[in-house]
Amino acid sequence: MMDEREDRLDELIRDAARDFNAPPVTPRAEMWEAIQARRRGAPAEIRPISRRRPLVLVFGIAALLALGVAIGRLTVPRAAPLPVPPATLSARPAAGGDTAVSSPEPAVAPARRQPAVASSGSQSLTTPASRLATGLHLTQVESFLTEFGTRPETGDYTGRARDLLTDTRLLIDSKRVEDLRIQRLLLDLELVLAQIAALSGDRREDVDLIADAVAQRHLRTRLRSVLPTGPAIRS
Amino acid sequence: MDTKSLVARVLAGDQDAERELYDTNVDRVYRLIYRMVGDAEQATDYTQDTFIRTFERLATFRHESALSTWITAIAISVVYNGQRKVKRLRAREVDLEHAEPVAIPAREADPDLKRKLAAAIEALPTGYRTVFLMHDVEGYTHEEIGSALGIQEGTSKAQLSRARARLRQQLADFAGDRAS
Repeated sequence: MMDEREDRLDELIRDAARDFNAPPVTPRAEMWEAIQARRRGAPAEIRPISRRRPLVLVFGIAALLALGVAIGRLTVPRAAPLPVPPATLSARPAAGGDTAVSSPEPAVAPARRQPAVASSGSQSLTTPASRLATGLHLTQVESFLTEFGTRPETGDYTGRARDLLTDTRLLIDSKRVEDLRIQRLLLDLELVLAQIAALSGDRREDVDLIADAVAQRHLRTRLRSVLPTGPAIRS
Repeated sequence: MDTKSLVARVLAGDQDAERELYDTNVDRVYRLIYRMVGDAEQATDYTQDTFIRTFERLATFRHESALSTWITAIAISVVYNGQRKVKRLRAREVDLEHAEPVAIPAREADPDLKRKLAAAIEALPTGYRTVFLMHDVEGYTHEEIGSALGIQEGTSKAQLSRARARLRQQLADFAGDRAS
């Protein structure tokens, strides 16, 4: 009887929910024009309103990448080995016993492999400084996700997640990362960081969902597999 | 539609293919985003952002999920990053009065129920709300939801079940009136 009552209520809710934020007709043509204009770099009719990222923050992030380049040039002599062993960033399956079972990140097919990062040890088209900046960022993300996964109720993670999300997007959009495996990792990290950044109040349920997403996408395993172990990065 | 062929054509610079990709997916993306944000300007903005990112990142698409699901994941990421909860809550209460129904339900829900339901949906944890809107309102499967959110299908089902339980709890008063 309780099940019947619940079913009736569920049906009532579904009926009523159709009106919840009921969408109007999709403004296809307008949006397409705006998308094309933005992709061409021209001013668009429909101006984006969500680009409220402060200019100071944008410059700050750009400075981070530039700092990474500068650090790379200062700390990594041209003749010295790269801070990241080429094999670490080569397109091979992620380490870890679970990858054979359900890894969302299978070995990259040979057709997609970037020749510049092949295991021959030749230098990638991406500069050592860029790899250093990427490594620094991924190290921070790994630390953040580890901390978030253990004690999320004790800290304010949304602000840090937002900062890491901004940096992640900067890396994605900068096209500096040429390793396809790392590109995909960054895209998956983007979604998780966006979810954490959107947390509000004490939302144990959302935290559990995010933890599930981190596990499902094997994010920590994938992070550890691309991060170098040298002290220059880990510090 | 052969997705692999479409993606290849887009990556080769075929503008007709780009438009085809957009036309095939924009309705569903826009509808979901609108459901999540309840504001036309924001929905338009986020939809544009979604497709711009889609074209920028298409080379990384692995064909392990449906292209539509992959684009949905991008859309959700865009929304999560852009949303401000308080603003949404306030916008909801105004928009509910002017919402046009997509389809006329067999039984018209009374305004009190709609108001209370809207508040109850807004009060759901973000994950519950997303799964509820995707599944019960927009008709996504748990497989699609799991793939878009990076969670297991079982988790999606559990989230939906908990969302429904919460909503039932909030709307229990209305159940008695409709007992038949």
